[in-house]
Amino acid sequence: MSGIQIMRNKAMMSMVCARCFNTITKRFASRRAERQQKREARMQEVIQEKGALSEAAERVYVWGHAATGALGVSTYLRPESRVHFPLPEQHRPARLRFMDENHIEVYDIACGYGFTLFATKRNRRYMVMGTGLNTDSQLGYHEYPKNSGRVLDYIIEPVPISLPGMTDDKLMNVKQLACGRAHSLFLTKEGVFAQGNNSYGQCGRSIVEGEIFHKVSNIQKIEGLPDNISKMVCGADHSLFLTSDGKVYSCGLGADGQTGLQTYENVGQPERLKGDIDGVKIRDIACRADCVLAVSEAGDVFGWGNSEYSQLSMVTSETQVSMPTHLPVRNCGKVMQVATGGSICALLNEKGEVYVWGYGVLGKGPKVDMLQSPSLLPLPLFGVNELQPEVKVTEVKCGMSHFAAVTDLGDVYTWGKGKYGALGLQRVTVQYFPLKIALPAFTHRVECGVDHTVALSRSYA
Amino acid sequence: MAKRTLQLTLAIFKPDIISHPHVVHNVKHMMLNDDFLFVRSKRMHLTRSRVQDFYKEHEGRFFYNRLVSFMSSGPISTHILARENAIVHWRKLMGPTKVFRTMHDEPGSIRGRYGLTDTRNCTHGSDSDQTAAREIEFFFPEFNIKDWYSQYESQFLQRDRLFFDEQHDVHQYCEGNSGQQTQHQQL
Repeated sequence: MSGIQIMRNKAMMSMVCARCFNTITKRFASRRAERQQKREARMQEVIQEKGALSEAAERVYVWGHAATGALGVSTYLRPESRVHFPLPEQHRPARLRFMDENHIEVYDIACGYGFTLFATKRNRRYMVMGTGLNTDSQLGYHEYPKNSGRVLDYIIEPVPISLPGMTDDKLMNVKQLACGRAHSLFLTKEGVFAQGNNSYGQCGRSIVEGEIFHKVSNIQKIEGLPDNISKMVCGADHSLFLTSDGKVYSCGLGADGQTGLQTYENVGQPERLKGDIDGVKIRDIACRADCVLAVSEAGDVFGWGNSEYSQLSMVTSETQVSMPTHLPVRNCGKVMQVATGGSICALLNEKGEVYVWGYGVLGKGPKVDMLQSPSLLPLPLFGVNELQPEVKVTEVKCGMSHFAAVTDLGDVYTWGKGKYGALGLQRVTVQYFPLKIALPAFTHRVECGVDHTVALSRSYA
Repeated sequence: MAKRTLQLTLAIFKPDIISHPHVVHNVKHMMLNDDFLFVRSKRMHLTRSRVQDFYKEHEGRFFYNRLVSFMSSGPISTHILARENAIVHWRKLMGPTKVFRTMHDEPGSIRGRYGLTDTRNCTHGSDSDQTAAREIEFFFPEFNIKDWYSQYESQFLQRDRLFFDEQHDVHQYCEGNSGQQTQHQQL
């Protein structure tokens, strides 16, 4: 309605006198009956409205600690109006609207301690984006406004991260991302790039005592790695690289032996791991803090690093293991995937069954808090029942002290101890068995940070 | 000599929380709510040999190496705290060292809330009067404990005249109109 019309209506209203008020109410009553009829007729019809966004599309869901900006939803920290309050914790999965509103397709994610990286694609242009805490320049140098000297410590909405010497064409080469406590790795065709904290050599360059990582731009290519890196994994303060022929390289903090290089010193140059994995083709590695697990093509499990909470007590009573050691995992079938957190471990076998061990809330009920060897989580907990007997778990991931699993039905199950709502189960902070979270999309990938979780999903058409 | 009512202790914020300013902010507020008074504060970046000096007593333990490399990995902030029975209270507020156990046993403590792993466990606190004196001397050689007790303790006992200076992380004594200062203290 245009402005003039509104004014005219207002004028009419003021002209209504007491005598004609009666007729108006009568007319209004008859219209009301008409409207009622119309409404009932509408109820009979079946209308299927289909908007532009209703087609199946990629979605990113985030939950957990929002105060760092790691969730990438700026309105949680800067509410749009005074009516809303800042939201420091998001306890249920929330859609990261920034991505689909800007038509950005996310194909890889990585979560660190208070920050998140996204490998994205928009109109055939590829870029890496990051959001969250940036106190160690793990997201790069972001000055805003430009040349003002105001360098951002917190980034609350995804921003592009520039890789050195990368034109658009070459940016297409970002294959995988990985994040540690305060450093980020980018796998490209040109090699592996690292930025952020290097106080233990986790960025693959020599350690400079007293180096300042705050408000600098320090992205560099890691030298001394072979060309065929296929996967990167970060622990809290060390980095592991897997080649396509199954060899493992590592650098960074070695105080617990987590580099697996048979030393307890920090290593600033990637070196190849030997020990029990020498000559074995490794398929997958997992690490979140200081304990590392690896699984070979044949399904053998290897471990090294911290074992203060019985993570590696199957083979040793030592609390620190600096050499990759074969773990005699029995009755677990062929192991396909492994996951470790701070004091928890999990593995996934060919049949899609999840086994857990370690210390903490393991998903075996409130009474079990320590397991020295893998123990099966019953499949009915992941939705297997008479109507759907074939459900398999396709992916299991660990945060610092919580687990997340994805099934082939696209459901996400979480359990463990989740700080700041990292479980995504509303008010629940300790969940003693796997529970499905309310995520309204088909999830194919989940990634756990220390206190937040991110899922890559496809919306239901 | 008058009976000492306030006890001094040394607190260190370790590199893991220094890189998370919002955690530092929350920890400070937990301390202020627990009636701790900040006497002195300093931010520094220790070299490896300085840290080795500081943790001499732990030399030879299995965690010594990782503790030293962690403490020298980034900036830390050190604080002299004052409170009645400060040492015990500060250790209680911090919670036990083993973070993954503390998370379940004492989830309300600083380490239970913000601790990451057993080494990256947020804070450090002195365990006795002697170590507190030694550690204060280590980080604040210019600070004389005896002088403080004789000259400034009486000021720190008048809580309504103290306000917390957020910028320098110390409590300042203010003479005169106290209404305004209580406002500051509540901040």
